[in-house]
Amino acid sequence: MERNQMRRQLALMRQSFFDQGFLDEQFIQLEELQDDANPNFVEEVVTLYYRDSSRLILNIDQALERNPLDFNKLDNYMHQFKGSSTSIGAKKVKAECTQFREYCKAGNSEGCMRTFQQLKKEYAILKRKLEAYFQQARQAGPLETACRSRN
Amino acid sequence: MLLPTALIPCWYSMISHVERQVNLNSHDFHSKLQYEIENTTKFLHPINSSATNLARVLKLSLNGTKLSFSMIETKVAPPLFQAWSTIPYLSQISYTGLEGLFFSYYTGQNQTLAVYSNSSYNSRSSAPNVKKNFNCYIQHVNHETGELYGNSIECPPLNLVSKRWFQEALNSTNGYASLEIGWNNSQDLTLLSSARINGEGVISLGFSAKVLTARFTSIDRQGGSLYLATKDGKVLIEELKDTHMVLTGNMVSVQLKKPNGEQKVLGNVSCIIKDGSPRASTLNIQGTEYMLYCSSLDMVGVQLVYVLAFPQKGLVSLVRKNRTVALALLIVIITSMVVSILSFAYIFIRAAKREMHLCAALIKQMEATQQAERKSMNKSLAFASASHDVRASLAGLTGLIEMCYEEANPGSELETNLRQMDTCAKDLLGLLNSILDTSKMEAGKMQLEEEEFDLAQLLEDVVDLYHPIGIKKGVDVVLDPYDGSAIKFSQVKGDRGKLKQILCNLLSNAVKFTCEGHVTVRTWVRKPSLQNSIIASNRNGLMKYLQCLFHKSNEAYNDLEAMNAAQQDPNAMEFVFEVDDTGKGIPKEKQMSVFENYVQVKETALGQGGTGLGLGIVQSLVRLMHGDISIVDKEMGEKGTCFRFNVILSTCENVSCNIAKAEDLEMVDGSHTPELILSTPSPGLWLHTPSSKLTVHTTPSPKVTTSHVVLLIQNKERRRTSQRFMENLRIKVSVAKQWEHLPSTLQKIKHKENHSRHNSSGKSDLSSPSGCLSRSASNNSSGVEKDVPLSSMDGSDYILSIFKRTTPKFASSFILIVIDASAGPFLELCRIVAEFKKGLHNATCKVVWLEKPMMRNIDFKHIEEDLVDPNDVVISKPFHGSRLYQVVRLLPEFGGTLQGNSSKLKEEIKFQAEKVPKDPSSSRSKPRSPPSNGIPPKEQEIQEIGNSNDEKPLSGKKLLVADDNVLLRKLTIASLLKLGATAETCVNGQEALDLVCKGLSDQRKLGASKILPYNYVLMDCEMPVMNGYEATKQIRKMEKSYGVHIPIIALTAHTSGGEANVAIEAGMDVHLGKPLKKEHLLEAIRYIDTK
Repeated sequence: MERNQMRRQLALMRQSFFDQGFLDEQFIQLEELQDDANPNFVEEVVTLYYRDSSRLILNIDQALERNPLDFNKLDNYMHQFKGSSTSIGAKKVKAECTQFREYCKAGNSEGCMRTFQQLKKEYAILKRKLEAYFQQARQAGPLETACRSRN
Repeated sequence: MLLPTALIPCWYSMISHVERQVNLNSHDFHSKLQYEIENTTKFLHPINSSATNLARVLKLSLNGTKLSFSMIETKVAPPLFQAWSTIPYLSQISYTGLEGLFFSYYTGQNQTLAVYSNSSYNSRSSAPNVKKNFNCYIQHVNHETGELYGNSIECPPLNLVSKRWFQEALNSTNGYASLEIGWNNSQDLTLLSSARINGEGVISLGFSAKVLTARFTSIDRQGGSLYLATKDGKVLIEELKDTHMVLTGNMVSVQLKKPNGEQKVLGNVSCIIKDGSPRASTLNIQGTEYMLYCSSLDMVGVQLVYVLAFPQKGLVSLVRKNRTVALALLIVIITSMVVSILSFAYIFIRAAKREMHLCAALIKQMEATQQAERKSMNKSLAFASASHDVRASLAGLTGLIEMCYEEANPGSELETNLRQMDTCAKDLLGLLNSILDTSKMEAGKMQLEEEEFDLAQLLEDVVDLYHPIGIKKGVDVVLDPYDGSAIKFSQVKGDRGKLKQILCNLLSNAVKFTCEGHVTVRTWVRKPSLQNSIIASNRNGLMKYLQCLFHKSNEAYNDLEAMNAAQQDPNAMEFVFEVDDTGKGIPKEKQMSVFENYVQVKETALGQGGTGLGLGIVQSLVRLMHGDISIVDKEMGEKGTCFRFNVILSTCENVSCNIAKAEDLEMVDGSHTPELILSTPSPGLWLHTPSSKLTVHTTPSPKVTTSHVVLLIQNKERRRTSQRFMENLRIKVSVAKQWEHLPSTLQKIKHKENHSRHNSSGKSDLSSPSGCLSRSASNNSSGVEKDVPLSSMDGSDYILSIFKRTTPKFASSFILIVIDASAGPFLELCRIVAEFKKGLHNATCKVVWLEKPMMRNIDFKHIEEDLVDPNDVVISKPFHGSRLYQVVRLLPEFGGTLQGNSSKLKEEIKFQAEKVPKDPSSSRSKPRSPPSNGIPPKEQEIQEIGNSNDEKPLSGKKLLVADDNVLLRKLTIASLLKLGATAETCVNGQEALDLVCKGLSDQRKLGASKILPYNYVLMDCEMPVMNGYEATKQIRKMEKSYGVHIPIIALTAHTSGGEANVAIEAGMDVHLGKPLKKEHLLEAIRYIDTK
């Protein structure tokens, strides 16, 4: 019973990610890829994403400190970052990436800075949320949380 | 201006000339007069010397002898008499001696008299006391002889010697002249001319002044007055009235005599003669200007002064006066002329100025207009091209959707979504077309696209479309079936899109501006009234005729003909639509203007947005359909607005007849099982049963049972319309306004039912006695007739014609409870219904739950089994249109079944409910499926998913994934594994190239060079070391020697088409966007395989 309760909460939490626009349907695709063969696929992918992207963010941070800004380089980094973000369905982060790239194209350094700050914020929020989610998912039980709650 | 300035001096000189002439003339005249006066004096001149001449003669004759009186009588008297007789004008002649002797003739009393004194002073002086000396006598004188005759009359002595003139004359040698008083009795003034004789006596000749002056006064002086006086101031003639002239030296002062005796000096006239003519001086005497001329003359030796006075009233004054008047007039004329010219000029200038302003404004306006037109044209062009592009891409979308639609599993969610996408895309396309049509309409090129369509379906679609929006705002959008006429003539021919546009527009407005209450849409049909068509034809026709006249356009004429034809079409019916809301309403004075383009009612439109184009388009569209739109006045106290419009549509009676016939045939074939009827997808097909057939069905057979419907619907309007609709179908309806009222309502029904059971045979449902039934039937029908208002009786026919009444096999009474699930706590409602069912013995009961779309407040899982009948039907809201008809059809007399075989029916309804298009909510409303009945939905879903899993379309395939991003790599691998493929990975292009190279060489070693090392290569484009393009190029180069072609699928995160082109150019087969999607991959592979 308690597990059911937890599962419901988990489902609610997950739904809230979609409702609030943190994640998009790509995440569902990820979930679909998860099966008995690799039961923690989503979590693995997300972890991978965070590991990978933290490096990218560092790169971008460094690139932004340089003066004048190398917009080409920034765009390149951001392109990679956007690709990663898209693949896990981090909707808000992706949106910020797009915005960043637009500023890059326009050569608006101030806009870049601002957007990057916003991006980092969104990135951190999502990270926190997903961590909490996976934490709860582990507690709720290994297999049932395979997000079969899709209706 | 020049003319008057030239004329005035000219005129002035002329006038001056005239004046001068006149002056000259008058002057001439005056001088002539003077001359005449002087002449007259000259005539008198010889008289002057007569006294001295006479004295000389006498002196000679006397010779210095001392004269005695007798001597005088003899020697002096005769010459005196001779002189008396010869000298003219003589009034007296005398000789006076120093001694006092005196002799004189004079004229007195028209007789010649002589007066003499015969005594000398000497004697008297010696004896001064002697009185005798004084003697003086007067005697008559004979005219002819000069002899004295008659008595001498003694008279007082004339003491002439002492007189001054006597002394003067005695002393002067040339004689002396003076003005004296004559010695006749009248004492006339006499001019006395005297001369001495020898120093002893004096001869004096007296001339009467009167006679002499008469000479002057007799001269015609033409109004001139004469004043004559001696130098010493004795006045002879004074003609000027009330004036007095005083001579002082050479000056004459003119004095005015006033009645009271005072004298006032008016002025002086100088008598000095210059240049031979006297000077004229002007004086104003008693208001009259006088010209005065003063001159002196010598008369009988007396120096005289005369003054001639001419009044100035003659020609000169006239001329002078006229001149001033004329000048004044002239000046007035000129000034007025100048003023008028100036004012005219002013006005002219002002007008010119204004005209210039206007001209400038016009030019500006014209420029603005041209600019606006240019802008508008550019806009239209841009708009058209943009619309075209949008349409093209939309067409692509719809095509793709259709493709997908074919491949989707029927009944799956994907299919529903696709269908909805399709609908949306089509709607979008329609919208775009309508935007284009708006500009078309502006150009007057709008044309109706006639097609056959189902009006009822359209209405329901539109209303359902706005229902969710309304519900979100708390407004219920109700489709009122009204009298059912619209349902009967549902199959019509007309412009579906435009009608829908009109309805959508009105409905969206209504929903937008309504905060509480409801929006009702109702439709009915009537024969096109003559008046309406005339109005319509007037409105459109007149314009068309004009167009015909002016443009002679065949098209317009054809159009007109078509229109006329449409109006004469016997199938043409007038459809009246009403959209009635309970919103803020439109102020009465604004109602006229809301149909104009870009007009919004400010008070109500505030904060709602919109362009204000909607109603303008609606009006244009309605008029295009030969109708008109207006705002119907609501009754006092009712809120909101009610738009009513009518359109002419032709009904497809014949077609529907055929369909109906077919239906009937099927029916007659027997087995009119409810399944058959209910599975007919569109209720519209039923709506056209011709009335002839209808009567057969509607005739209530005595065996018919009536059903009872209980309605628990929250919204007042919906409750009312549903109730009315059912009542028109002769169904008994009870209504509960709130869920609390439900038990009591049900109780009443139960009581009635159970009461009517008295005759029945126990619990056998299937065979109720006919007597009881017939009675209840007749009861019902009469009851209904009472209840239904007279006006809607026609309507009930329409509605009855929609549904076939059948005689049910199961003759037990049927109770249908329709409950709005959100009307109260669901559990409570369930309990109430369950309780009611328990107590029911003779009747069948069915419950229809109305479920709110999207919000699932019916959770059957939580309700115990015994509370809910598995046969209950769940229908999603809104409860109108086809859903309402479905519910009605549940009734046995309209083809419904009873409890026994209801499970299938339920399924059908479920299916129907899902089929309702344009209502996204309905598709989601999956009715609860109890485990005892059919397959549970979960199972079905699993089945669906299982299918795709089993397929594993890529099983046995080997793929190479080249991607530098570990995350993406992992994802791709996972996807591929899911699809049953095996995969190898590498991190850059170089590695991929190496792997492919190795694979190929291995294959060759094995002798199977034609077998590919990898079925497909998934290549990321941007990678370190060697990017995807380069790697692909290398692979292509290399594989040539092996004679194979390895399909390479490019993966990019770029969404633009440029990357795709680069990829294709590099030799890749397909280009896919990241992140990799299963469907895309499969499609790509399918594409490669078919190539």
